[in-house]
Amino acid sequence: MFWHNLKYEIRVTLRNKDFLMWLILFPIILGTLFKAAFGNIYEKNDLFSAIPTAVVKTAENPIYDGVLAALTEGDDPALKVTFATEEEAKKLLFEGKADGILFLGEKAELNVSGSGMTQTILKEITARIGVYETVLADAIATDPMKAEASMKALSEEINACREVPLTDGNPNVYLQFFYNLIAMVAICGSMSGLHVATNNQANQSTLGARRNCSPTPKRMTLSAAVIGSCISQVACMVISVTFIRFILRINLGGNLLLLYAAAALSGCLGVTFGFLVGSIGRLKHEAKSAISLSVSLFLCFLSGLMVGNMKALLAEKAPWVNKINPVAIMSDSYYCLNMYSDYRRFTEKIIAMCILIVVFTALGILFTRRKRYASI
Amino acid sequence: MKPTVVKIDNLVKRYGELVALDHFSLEIKEGEIFGLLGPNGSGKTTTINCLLALLSYDKGDIEVFGKPMEPTSYDIKREIGVIMQNVAVLDELTVRENIDYFCGLYIHDKAKRKEYVDEAIRFVGLEDFVNFRPNKLSGGLLRRLNIACGIAHKPKLIILDEPTVAVDPQSRNRILEGIQELNRQGATVIYTSHYMEEVEQICNRIAIMDHGRKIAEGTKEELKGMIRNTESVSIEILELPDEIREKIAALPHVYETDYDGAKLMVRCSGGRHNLIRILGVLQEAELGFGRVYSELPTLNDVFLEITGTALRDAKGE
Repeated sequence: MFWHNLKYEIRVTLRNKDFLMWLILFPIILGTLFKAAFGNIYEKNDLFSAIPTAVVKTAENPIYDGVLAALTEGDDPALKVTFATEEEAKKLLFEGKADGILFLGEKAELNVSGSGMTQTILKEITARIGVYETVLADAIATDPMKAEASMKALSEEINACREVPLTDGNPNVYLQFFYNLIAMVAICGSMSGLHVATNNQANQSTLGARRNCSPTPKRMTLSAAVIGSCISQVACMVISVTFIRFILRINLGGNLLLLYAAAALSGCLGVTFGFLVGSIGRLKHEAKSAISLSVSLFLCFLSGLMVGNMKALLAEKAPWVNKINPVAIMSDSYYCLNMYSDYRRFTEKIIAMCILIVVFTALGILFTRRKRYASI
Repeated sequence: MKPTVVKIDNLVKRYGELVALDHFSLEIKEGEIFGLLGPNGSGKTTTINCLLALLSYDKGDIEVFGKPMEPTSYDIKREIGVIMQNVAVLDELTVRENIDYFCGLYIHDKAKRKEYVDEAIRFVGLEDFVNFRPNKLSGGLLRRLNIACGIAHKPKLIILDEPTVAVDPQSRNRILEGIQELNRQGATVIYTSHYMEEVEQICNRIAIMDHGRKIAEGTKEELKGMIRNTESVSIEILELPDEIREKIAALPHVYETDYDGAKLMVRCSGGRHNLIRILGVLQEAELGFGRVYSELPTLNDVFLEITGTALRDAKGE
């Protein structure tokens, strides 16, 4: 009896057009759009390397030589410099072998052929070079003995500004969008949870009435329906993560198996969330569906799906929101898995998800356990 | 004497101030096709929902197959087939899958279930549509699928709550014939409707409900015997002076006349040759008239006379 119900529940869920649209097609489309929108930035950020720059010395200036040395040496140089004449430099720029031409003479000047991240960085570096030159020239003029110390101090400042990796994971900030996307797929599982609740209550749907007339105990139809929806949802989560990781080739970081597990658990959380929403009140299924979808999207908004820094903003202004927002907990679990080498934070998020699943399911059962209704 | 299948005793159901069922009692014997007749809002569906233990009620007792009916009376529920007023099927499943799914809620054995599903498909004539999804079926076919889902497990008691609403005449006939066939196969049937002619066509015994009360119960003949009207004569006539109408009204057995300017309706209670006497008055007055009809009372007449109202629409049952 249980397997009969489970089999048909999975079949019904996987054939549901809304389910296919929101849980399989939509994340694929949105993920592809994210990749198209952030892909360039993502790859550049992910594979950051020294910016190829042509340097044209229009006059000898030992201060620039020192600053340039600080920018081109070391393990993680900011610039990859090619000294050239102006003609050669223009040719390099034209052929794309250099992202900009740095003219070093009395002043530091920059020529670029377009606009983009590297050009912006070059502009910043040129401005910094100008500042160094002013500081060092001033130091030499006032106390030549301290010029060397000033040069060293400036070099150290440059070193101090270098990014120190805190993790072995992928630190790319744009990953958050993909984490939120996975969390959104999970929370959209609320739709199938909602179906479970309304289709098993006699006062919510004719289907529920028919099921309640049968000799199959309600606990069996309900449990088979919830488990069936969770299985279908987990399948969607696996498809989404696989698509993002292996088709879009986004390095989601961390232990991939654990990420799949966290995504699967998130899917179950989404289903139980919908089950709870569907269990409350006597609104029509369509109305509940609209409420569930709106709430889900709002939670996604709060977790930063639409506005990247929303979660950080809430962490500052109202940190409790992130602690109870299922979508934020889900995306945080993926983030923690990527960013922290120990699993303490990840485990905390997983426990929080398990608690929410238990609470949502218990409340849902509490509201749907009635066997007789006051009105239908 | 045949055993009682359903016994409803003194049932009271209130929705706040509204009394939906007012000390309603009913007894249905095995093998009957029992019609529950009443206008919209009379309490038919409420009765069915209480009987199925879906609705709570304020007072009264319900027994099915001699046992009290409770939400957990799974052994009783196993023997009941329900066809709801609204179609209750799963849009994502095909015709066969739908029937198999609902049958599976009652029948565990796979082989037996397959046999029952095939039989149900044949019974409702959906052999050519087994792989269709419900949204590809016409209204009539969808109703037939709804019925197949309710009867596939071969229940001993079948409850049909207005199964022919919005169904074309061909499908309606097929459904009614199907119900009679199920009854011939041994099922007891409870049939609710506000279509008098359907109830008259298939039911052995009928209860008429209004305002949550049972106002009459019996066979068709018994119900017709409860009313004064034994013959209704209608005559198309364009001119009818008042004195002639009074003459007709004074004839023996005539208890009511009604003239709307084009048609004279005369209702008679008992007696013979009422039509000849009425036409005699018209001929004597040398009045011309058109078509003449003489009709025996129908359930509709019974209903109108007993309830004093025409069928009405209400928001809910």
